[in-house]
Amino acid sequence: MEGERVRGVQKVRWVRRVRALSVTVLAVVLAAAAVHAQNNFIYKAPTAADWAALAKLPDFSGVWEVGFGPAPGAARGAAPGAPPAGAAPPGPARGGAPRGGGAAAPGGGRGRGGGGPQLTPAAEARRKELQTQAANVQDSPAANCLPPGMPGIMGQPYPMEFLLTPGKVTIVIEAYQQVRHIYTDGRPLPEDPDPKFHGTSIGRWEGDTLVVDTVGFSPLTEIARYVPFSAKARIVERFRLTDPDTMSIETTITDPDVLTAPQVSTRSLRRHRNWTTAEYICEENNRNSVDSSGKAVIDLTLPAKK
Amino acid sequence: MRTRFYVALFAAMLLAGSARLVAHHSFSAFNTETEKTITGTVNRFEWTNPHTWVWVDVTENGKTVTWGVEGMSPNYLSRRGWSKNTFKPGDKITLTVRPMRDGSPGGMFVRGILADGKPITFAATEQ
Repeated sequence: MEGERVRGVQKVRWVRRVRALSVTVLAVVLAAAAVHAQNNFIYKAPTAADWAALAKLPDFSGVWEVGFGPAPGAARGAAPGAPPAGAAPPGPARGGAPRGGGAAAPGGGRGRGGGGPQLTPAAEARRKELQTQAANVQDSPAANCLPPGMPGIMGQPYPMEFLLTPGKVTIVIEAYQQVRHIYTDGRPLPEDPDPKFHGTSIGRWEGDTLVVDTVGFSPLTEIARYVPFSAKARIVERFRLTDPDTMSIETTITDPDVLTAPQVSTRSLRRHRNWTTAEYICEENNRNSVDSSGKAVIDLTLPAKK
Repeated sequence: MRTRFYVALFAAMLLAGSARLVAHHSFSAFNTETEKTITGTVNRFEWTNPHTWVWVDVTENGKTVTWGVEGMSPNYLSRRGWSKNTFKPGDKITLTVRPMRDGSPGGMFVRGILADGKPITFAATEQ
């Protein structure tokens, strides 16, 4: 009797172990399959027809810069000594956009919309906490040439260039010499993306509008000052031409853990056919740094004669 | 009416100018609420990213001090009429800056007068 019961218990334990193992194996297999689908998506070799099909898409070619203020002709005529059309305030959160950021409003805060994010109680508490922590800090220690990531990188006073190739849109961004890779070959978004400065992006064409879906943001990026993304954040950008040399980008940020309403902003970019994208190595001569205690430092050492 | 709108717009931009620069790196060491004007001779001009630096030898009360004045990037400025030759060693120039809070001989460029007497701002003319 006693021995039978022991055997019975052992059998139950064994069955449980096998079940647990099966579940684990299944989970691992499924996860591996999902990772395989995302990371090992096979990029189809483009055909002549794929290249030809690009000609039917809107012309995004060339170098674009976020437009500020009035049209350039008016700017030149109206006030020759005025500061550059780029001196617009960085957004509603004054006196401290995140590093390189201007992400006070979504997408860099240089577009219309904005008005500050509507935060969940938890996100508002976190914002206050981060703000308090930063009270004795002149600037973020991360200010030392780190790029802002999304969405701030899309609102810098530097141009960007759009490259359309079969299955992909590449945005070459002059500021901090950054690149965004947007896959338009039908691959899915990863279910559990690694956090990245620019997230992971896929795109599709809805008529003449390029719709880009991005997930997975680095903790070093922010929706707005002191408002980090949660893992549930998603950014949808709609790129379209509104006239031959003007591009509109509507940016919508959703994050159920952080925002009580989607953050929508719109900005427009102007095409400069006579511009090229230039080199930008931030570490070349960055004399504006922040030390480990958060104190802003300016290096006034006279450069060596060359 | 239209003119008044642009004047107001540019005034707003001027006031916001420093805020825009803050977005790049740290500018907390500069006092953005005051201006100082210096006159001197260009020692050298660093046409570098992320920002340009013009070094000016300024003589005050018989003592020469070299000031470092920070400006926007060559990328930004080259599209608005500036070049690596905008300031040449030996040029006599006047610069208005937002000075360092701690009194060090440094500042952020606001506007200037070139060796040939022409005024210069970050805007210049867009290319």
